[in-house]
Amino acid sequence: MKRREFLKTTAATGTLLFIPSLPLGRSNTVQFSNPDFEKLAEAALSSARTLGATYADIRIARYRTQSVSTREKRVLNVSDSESYGFGIRVIARGTWGFAASQVVTQEEIVKVAKQAVAIATINSKLQRQPLTLAPVQAYKTSWSTPIRKNPFDVPLQEKVEKLLGINEEALKVRGVTFCSSSAAFVNEHKFFASTEDSMIEQDLHRCEPSFTVTSVNRELGSFQTRNSYAEPQGMGYEYFEEYPWLEDVRQAGEDVMEKHKARSVEPGKRDLILHPSNLWLTIHESVGHPTELDRALGMEANYAGTSFLTLDKRGTFKFGSDIVNFVADKTQKNGLATSGYDDDGVKTTEWHLVRNGVFIDYQTTREQAHILGKKASDGTCYAQSWNAVPFQRMPNVSLQPGPKPLRISDLIADTDNAILIKGRGSYSIDHQRYNFQFGGQAYYEVKKGKITGMLKDVAYQARTPDFWNACDAIGGAEEYYLGGSFNDGKGEPGQSNAVSHGCCPSRFRSINILNTARTV
Amino acid sequence: MHTEQEAQQIVTRIVSLSKADNVEVNLGGGTTSHLRFANNSPSTSGSVSNSTISIRSTFGKKTGTVGLNQTDEASLREGVRRSEELARLSPEDPEFMPPLGPQRYGEVNSFDKTMADNGPEFMADAAAECIQQAAKRNLLATGFLQSNAGWSALGNSRGLFGYHRTTSMYFSETVRTPEGDGSGWVSAASHKTADFRFQELAKVAVDKAALSRNPKPLPPGKYVTILEPSCVADLLQGMVFSLNARSADEGRSFFSRREGGNKLGEKLFPENVTIYTDPNDPLAPGSRWGADGLPQRRIEWVKEGMLANLNYSRYWAEKQGATPTPGGSNLIFKGGDGSLEDLIRSTKEGVLVTSIWYIRSVDPRSLLLTGLTRDGVFWIENGKIAHPVNNFRWNDSPISVLKNIDAMSKSARVPPRESRSPNVVVPALRVKEFNFSSVSEAV
Repeated sequence: MKRREFLKTTAATGTLLFIPSLPLGRSNTVQFSNPDFEKLAEAALSSARTLGATYADIRIARYRTQSVSTREKRVLNVSDSESYGFGIRVIARGTWGFAASQVVTQEEIVKVAKQAVAIATINSKLQRQPLTLAPVQAYKTSWSTPIRKNPFDVPLQEKVEKLLGINEEALKVRGVTFCSSSAAFVNEHKFFASTEDSMIEQDLHRCEPSFTVTSVNRELGSFQTRNSYAEPQGMGYEYFEEYPWLEDVRQAGEDVMEKHKARSVEPGKRDLILHPSNLWLTIHESVGHPTELDRALGMEANYAGTSFLTLDKRGTFKFGSDIVNFVADKTQKNGLATSGYDDDGVKTTEWHLVRNGVFIDYQTTREQAHILGKKASDGTCYAQSWNAVPFQRMPNVSLQPGPKPLRISDLIADTDNAILIKGRGSYSIDHQRYNFQFGGQAYYEVKKGKITGMLKDVAYQARTPDFWNACDAIGGAEEYYLGGSFNDGKGEPGQSNAVSHGCCPSRFRSINILNTARTV
Repeated sequence: MHTEQEAQQIVTRIVSLSKADNVEVNLGGGTTSHLRFANNSPSTSGSVSNSTISIRSTFGKKTGTVGLNQTDEASLREGVRRSEELARLSPEDPEFMPPLGPQRYGEVNSFDKTMADNGPEFMADAAAECIQQAAKRNLLATGFLQSNAGWSALGNSRGLFGYHRTTSMYFSETVRTPEGDGSGWVSAASHKTADFRFQELAKVAVDKAALSRNPKPLPPGKYVTILEPSCVADLLQGMVFSLNARSADEGRSFFSRREGGNKLGEKLFPENVTIYTDPNDPLAPGSRWGADGLPQRRIEWVKEGMLANLNYSRYWAEKQGATPTPGGSNLIFKGGDGSLEDLIRSTKEGVLVTSIWYIRSVDPRSLLLTGLTRDGVFWIENGKIAHPVNNFRWNDSPISVLKNIDAMSKSARVPPRESRSPNVVVPALRVKEFNFSSVSEAV
């Protein structure tokens, strides 16, 4: 299967609700995988209630990660790790408290519940306004990522052979000096119970395979690299198995060799055609983050930052051109942030953040919904582990396909003077999400409707609303592609969230291009 | 908190369960507590106890590693079994280095009992101080305090064993004006409770927020710039991560020589640049061992402007005839004599930067980085802060920054804003130019 066809098949088009592999049990009939879960949950919730908590939840969870990394003909590391424990979150005297432990026994759960209530009580002296949680339906159910092949059941040799095969293919290209490759598989298995009468078991899977090809040119005193265009996905081993690795890595080898000879870019204003493999990260930083309500409220001011999308802009601010539509979706097929329920016990959903270019909504959790006058949470609460406090995290946020069935070839044919950028490169954005700068993996000059060759030393820099208002063409659904990040950082202590962003190739007029070559 | 004896018992048990040629164990754990506050009110808080065990089994040159966080007999048994299974299935590693035998680790004092005993009341009191100071001046405080009392140990089937206890606390606070037209920031990290004077720290953030209101526009360009220690810590880490001998020798690093090999011994920076690691630094003690269990020791990376050392893994050191390095557990930039205020006083015209943010590599060949300024940028005129100015995006390389040093203050223990590493000691620097490439209207 060709890379292009593969991406079409796996990413599908748009946002599709999918059927969970575990049946959604009717209330009170679901069988949880561990018969002790209900008893342990009851110990946590009743202890917290007795101690004065007005709300409590417990997550008992096991996280498993397997990773294999290689370079050239060598396996650098094979590791399999597991973390098991529970976290109890309470509201007492209108204030959050949290405590967690790796010792999953009834006795420890009672002790930790007490600790969580004590922390909340101590901090309540400083609380300005008691917390308010939006109503939530009670669920007794289970949900799992609909994988076709469990990566943890696949023999290690198969993974090693595949990675070494990728390296070997790269090294066949004359001039390629190094190739490293790796694969990581994650399974997040968690049981959630709350004083809202919910008990939810979820089994989530995601994977992140990748490679980097390097060519060192001693004559030029330089080196060039190109990373894989494969994106992490909320999928099982089938993704690693079916992605056209050899095609991608051969092309990467040819690309690094051409990059040596490529012309250094002329800085200044140029049109941009962004391939989805590059555009998804720009969406993540300039759309996903500023629409987080906790940022807009100043809750993340000390670390991740605030947002230029202040509350007064909701419903009126012209975020982008009329063809720009962004949808937040925690039910998206193959999405890294996809789950059946969030860590507040809210059933996941989809909703518009930007419609016809106008900013209309944020991402909320149960404690935030009332601030916007919403009757229910958007279901975006997540904690990276049993030992981390759940809080507002980004759902999958995707740019909707354009109104016309445009292909990337149509965009190129229709453009007089532009740079086409592929792949995820350097990325940086300010703490209110205005000023950003992005690089890529491969840059192509487009002149009079044709690609005329590669460029190098390219970065683009813009102001978020100017950039999205400069978007004058978005490819059709046939070009839809799901990119994503395994490690989106936010919060204190820092937590990681995996999140996907779908998009089609898009064109942006007159964007500031920098030349990044330096002699130091 | 596991005692040395308890840690040793786990290592001994794992070694006794092992059927592999070699087994290596790394352990660590402790209790971490935190409190966040935002808009003058607590937001989330918590306390977590956890421990992790990493078991690496080896058959010949084949290795497999398993990580777990349960210490009961059945979990240890399963961990050993799985690591051996992975090792058997792995291909031979041509670069395999056998585990080290017993080592002599120097004593490092980085444990403070007062810190280990601090409870949630301590954190609430610290937050209360920050909130009160901000509220009194009609400002909004948002901040974070995290304290850890932990231990780490390592051991293997060749008789190696080491144990180390540490405490560590991190604090930072952002104070903003309610109108969103000014923002100030402060941070601190140490292993000793006594190093945190919350009243003074909170005052820095409050004063900066008030002083940064209504910034005046300043166009992008290259300016004489004073980088406060936090900025220097971030920039320096960007460079130190690249001090890898193998990457340099392979031709894919700034520290590669065009004709092959690396730049060791080359004079890259002015005489006053000396950067080193030292586990027994009095301000920021490091750890007892580093990569592969090698004992930590003082290593000068840059000595009076010359590249004096690069990081060598045990394999690469053997291949190149060099001495392997443990990687360093702190980072010290030998400073000058004066204070930050002295640097400001002696500056005719320039920009003062409180902090830098979202720092990412743009080009590894020149170590070009990009990032933004944050929480207080000021224009200096005739030795005084004249007024606040807008934030900037910058594109510059730590190599150029070090080459352009014009003056420096005394060094202080300051965590880099992004990584929050607790063991970094750096001065404020005045550089002849810093490349502010575009304006950021973020406040």
